[in-house]
Amino acid sequence: MRYYFLDQDRNEQIVDMDRMVEDGVTRQFHFKIEGKKHVFHARKLAGKLFGSWEGKKWFKLPMLSPGETLVSHATTLKVYRGFKPSGLFNGNAGALITQMPGKIVKLMVNVGDKVQQGQTVLILEAMKMENEIKAGVAGTVKSINVQVGQALESGVLLIEIDDEA
Amino acid sequence: MKGKRVLIANRGEIAIRVAKALNELGLVSVGLWTDNEPEAAHLEYCQEWVHLPGSTNRDTYLNVPKIMELIKEHKIDAVHPGYGFLSENGDFAKTLQAAKVIFIGPNTEAIAAMGDKAISKQWAQKAGVPVVPGSTGEVPTAAEALKMCQDIGYPVLLKAVAGGGGKGMRPCYSDADVKTNFEAVQREALSSFGNAGLLVEKYVQNPHHIEVQILADKKGNVYHLFERECSIQRRHQKIVEEAPSPFIGADEKLRKDICETAVKLAKAVNYDSAGTVEFIMGEDRKFYFLEMNTRIQVEHPITEEITGVDLLANMVKSAFGEPLDFKSQDEIVLRGHAIECRICAEDPITMLPAPGKIAGFETTFPQGIRFDHCLYPKFTITPDFDPMVGKLIARGLNRDVAVRKVRAALDGLILEGLKTNIPLLKVIMDEENFKKGQYTTHYIASVKPQEKVSVGENVESYIPRIVSVEMGQV
Repeated sequence: MRYYFLDQDRNEQIVDMDRMVEDGVTRQFHFKIEGKKHVFHARKLAGKLFGSWEGKKWFKLPMLSPGETLVSHATTLKVYRGFKPSGLFNGNAGALITQMPGKIVKLMVNVGDKVQQGQTVLILEAMKMENEIKAGVAGTVKSINVQVGQALESGVLLIEIDDEA
Repeated sequence: MKGKRVLIANRGEIAIRVAKALNELGLVSVGLWTDNEPEAAHLEYCQEWVHLPGSTNRDTYLNVPKIMELIKEHKIDAVHPGYGFLSENGDFAKTLQAAKVIFIGPNTEAIAAMGDKAISKQWAQKAGVPVVPGSTGEVPTAAEALKMCQDIGYPVLLKAVAGGGGKGMRPCYSDADVKTNFEAVQREALSSFGNAGLLVEKYVQNPHHIEVQILADKKGNVYHLFERECSIQRRHQKIVEEAPSPFIGADEKLRKDICETAVKLAKAVNYDSAGTVEFIMGEDRKFYFLEMNTRIQVEHPITEEITGVDLLANMVKSAFGEPLDFKSQDEIVLRGHAIECRICAEDPITMLPAPGKIAGFETTFPQGIRFDHCLYPKFTITPDFDPMVGKLIARGLNRDVAVRKVRAALDGLILEGLKTNIPLLKVIMDEENFKKGQYTTHYIASVKPQEKVSVGENVESYIPRIVSVEMGQV
């Protein structure tokens, strides 16, 4: 699973979670950041979530959901799981492109519709997760190149939005 | 008093604090909720919930006619205004009085005497309480303010007559400053307090902000609960408060003097509730009366922690004419030290409000911590409300212990999803001058702790957040 961290200046940081290993009550998450491997342990305890770097020293983690804004108190970061709202950052602002293989679950707009920036335009299922794909810009839906139920490869142009500006 | 119905005309952490006191005393706590905050956290502590329609403060918590309607409809016996909003609005207190509803606060004459800064200064002078040189009444025009500045000498402070909480005041260092700021402060005063009246006063440099907590009953008994020092401020708003004052320190004579001066003033205006007399104290340890806040204050918990007196419960008892929890000044003993850090949704470096939605919220505190707050995961802090969302309070045997505890508590307070001043508070708690208790109201401007807030984010720190999201999926 690929995670995208996007800051307010449109800088992007990609973190890949390679695999998750269940080990009794704990789970081990294996990551790769810029070629470097990291392992992180997690377990639930008394309704709370705890994490550990080496499985010995544990600390409490806040419960988070995908799509939340995370802040390191000084920097605002939007976190996207698996997909990012294409066009919001980098590339052609109005083009929504799949970031990994998936299947279209639902289309929520038609050609000619006015959309707001951040509005969910379609739902894509990937790795058993439903992902809301959001418009990167406000504008008019110019083309829809996919259908509900269609399985897609990574890099497919889903929807094009004409920027209002 | 038992069974009486009390409306809490406020929101956020103070509404929770008030509700706790009401419930404990066997009163019925009635909470309000507005359209812009349907999931108001304070309702959790209120026995009855009443809808106050509207989405702006003007339409809701400042809307006296609507609140009076609800009071009638819900057969309310008394109103606690909290702080801010209508807490120091004399007209509201009078309207309640006319409707035979108890205002949980001082009598209307005391509000009239102390609620207006210009008039309160005259009362202080009459009572023999030293005041800061400045205008004795409202200054209607910039031209008159300029004339006055000739006598007072720069720097001066332009202040809203009805102001409080640091809003509606600006320092001016020259005629040009006064000219540019006068109308701006008037506008700010009008929009924040509904009163454009301004005062001009001497801006005392290198001062300490020291205030005395007063608690009085309806029988003429006025007590003090020692002092608080609130010199750590930004934009004239407090962010760290402590009790007792480290500047007064072991100078028991000075402590007695300032506390008794506050009592003297409170007695002069027949004060009969909880209130705070604020002083400005120079390096020469001379102090001047600034203003009296005729309400409960944000930083009241540190006084509760060092005295063991429940200020809210006693404020309510006083309003109903009941005896207080203690019978003499001698029963009020200062024990240990308490520090409060205000947790604000703001950028830790620029210190500007940064509203947002809480993505994650967890606490792991050391012993001796009190956290008065209105936070919960998914809570959205809107720009309509004050950015202060909680108060972290530590009590210790002495100042060093209190600092140690509050510092550890800051590490144990996790707030994700919006910017907070937590990193700034950590820097302050670790900073040498603060640790020694050596600071003035210019601390933020001169020590600049905000410059030591680290902005760099290690990519590795993203991993626990990803794991948190992943664990939420299973």
